[in-house]
Amino acid sequence: MSLALNLSHEPVTKIPNGKLAMWAFLASELMFFSGFFGGFIVLRNTNYEVFAEASNHLNWVLALVNTFILIGSSLTMALAIHNLEHKKNGLYRLFMGLTLLGGFGFLIVKYIEYSAKYADGLFPGQEHHSVFYSFYFIMTGFHAIHVIAGMIPIGYMFFKGFTKAGYPYPSKVETLGLYWHFVDLMWIFIFPALYLLNPSSTGIGH
Amino acid sequence: MSADHGNPLPSYMKVFYALLVLTVLTVLAAKSLHFPAEWGTPGDILHVAIGIAIAVVKVIAVMYIFMHLKFDHPFLRFFVYVPVFLFLVLGFALNILESWSYTH
Repeated sequence: MSLALNLSHEPVTKIPNGKLAMWAFLASELMFFSGFFGGFIVLRNTNYEVFAEASNHLNWVLALVNTFILIGSSLTMALAIHNLEHKKNGLYRLFMGLTLLGGFGFLIVKYIEYSAKYADGLFPGQEHHSVFYSFYFIMTGFHAIHVIAGMIPIGYMFFKGFTKAGYPYPSKVETLGLYWHFVDLMWIFIFPALYLLNPSSTGIGH
Repeated sequence: MSADHGNPLPSYMKVFYALLVLTVLTVLAAKSLHFPAEWGTPGDILHVAIGIAIAVVKVIAVMYIFMHLKFDHPFLRFFVYVPVFLFLVLGFALNILESWSYTH
């Protein structure tokens, strides 16, 4: 056993530093979204009719499409990591590209959704705004910001895959993958909480 | 690392299919079951409980397989357990205080 100090991972557990830092960051992210959900639960219980009416107005079909897009891009991210670890650069580029495409697709659907909300006067300051829409915009908005923030390094690592040497750091893609899966994970809760869990929910919304 | 535990691709695909099926299931449960439109009734609680239960199953699958919690050092699980515990405390504490202040 070498006596040289290896700084690439935590000495006792041998967890790579990047992964440890990402998990600590994700723990803080969980608490960040916990605040939204905590407030959402309390206000839902005390403004039930407002929340039920507004939630019924949301377009759950578009949200369902976005759910499938995110699940798909979570899978392609896992496959991209797997292929980079096995030095299959072509497949890495393919799956990383699909992951990036998923991010764009999600944002396009989000744009369509937000445009309809604006046309219906549901934005903060508009006539039909209610407390539910404050949660809707802040939760889906922060989630969309997370998607954009993830797409920047995904794009970088994707385009680096086209260089002669390919992208040389599988562990960095794996760490980024943790973040990308987390974005998917938050949507798994946001989707039913905002779009589905309201009483007598019928129709498609706007 | 996925290289340490054999070929992870079959489990990735299983999780992917499970997520698709559970997503459809959560929509079907929410849209086909009709409950009285009143807060706090057993129907409402069941409605929400089914939605949360399915979401929790999906999240566990993503965390343990896609995010490798099943294969990585168990220490990493605390980064999930502690925030989730704090969230439950926060959620319950806020709600109990809120409900209490409205009913007393």
